[in-house]
Amino acid sequence: MNETWRLIDMRVEDAYTQMATDESIAYARGREDTPNTVRLYRWNPSAVSVGYFQNLRDEVDLEACRRHGVDVIRRITGGGAVFHDYDGEITYSLVALDDNPKIPRDIISSYRLICGCVVNGLGAMGLEAEFKPINDIITGGRKISGNAQTRRYGVVLQHGTVLVDCDVRKIFTVLKVSDTKISDKMIKAAEERVTSIRQELGRDVSFDEVRRALISGFEETLDIHLEPGELTAYEDELVEKLRERYLSREWIFKR
Amino acid sequence: MAAETEVEDGRLVNVKITGDFFMHPEEAIEELEDMLIGLHVDASAIEDAVEEFFRGHSIELIGASPRDFIHVLKMSLEVSSS
Repeated sequence: MNETWRLIDMRVEDAYTQMATDESIAYARGREDTPNTVRLYRWNPSAVSVGYFQNLRDEVDLEACRRHGVDVIRRITGGGAVFHDYDGEITYSLVALDDNPKIPRDIISSYRLICGCVVNGLGAMGLEAEFKPINDIITGGRKISGNAQTRRYGVVLQHGTVLVDCDVRKIFTVLKVSDTKISDKMIKAAEERVTSIRQELGRDVSFDEVRRALISGFEETLDIHLEPGELTAYEDELVEKLRERYLSREWIFKR
Repeated sequence: MAAETEVEDGRLVNVKITGDFFMHPEEAIEELEDMLIGLHVDASAIEDAVEEFFRGHSIELIGASPRDFIHVLKMSLEVSSS
């Protein structure tokens, strides 16, 4: 059955507002106060996010982040540390009731389905990619998207990155990769593990082209129509409240 | 995955388990850590407690197993008690 879901399209906000928005929608959806939703967004300023369980100081070079004006945030989802580059990444998030028949109850199967939306979006641009369990999307053996999911409030919330451009040197600057100095050899090895849409397609792909491809990927894969919409007043209010928690040192340095 | 532990008078007084795994619900990690506090630093006590915890709760672990938790706890305790 063709359902209509809400699309919150390409908001550019800082890390704290973005993570608060994902959680706000999840909470509101659980209360049946808002529709199933797909968001596309970018992080400005660029930011590092760590997974719920990660030790922040082990993963992030806080001094380098300060120097480069990169925000630091802890997600409510597990998984690894990510550098969200304003110039190189589109993030998506999906919120749906967890008893929606389209969403498999099994977590890996639901990763496969939702990552499939991104895979098909990339496919629409002529880029062949595949889901790699647990939570990656790869092309030619290289990672192009990382994804993380939580289940709470009676909903599935999955968010993930899509690399439009990838500057490995920037990643190494803000993430603690090892105690040794960043060497050309390390950069080369990392470049063999990650890639981007621009690199794969060999042209200057615009954010708007990726955006449109992702929207079609979600619509076709889930057999839904995405109707552009706005946050409800309730969600907006909740974003403001949750943002304070995401900004708090207590949350950021929780582990 | 890694564990940081603090021991006083042979008992755990502080535990943090960190890593890039997935655990649903996420907050269960704090429950697990709280449950370990006060426990005697003893390999089999730790093993039993962790196994019991995962048996008793409906927790989904992805990218990790209860054995991994036991392993990092034991590693950390060997280090911090030496």
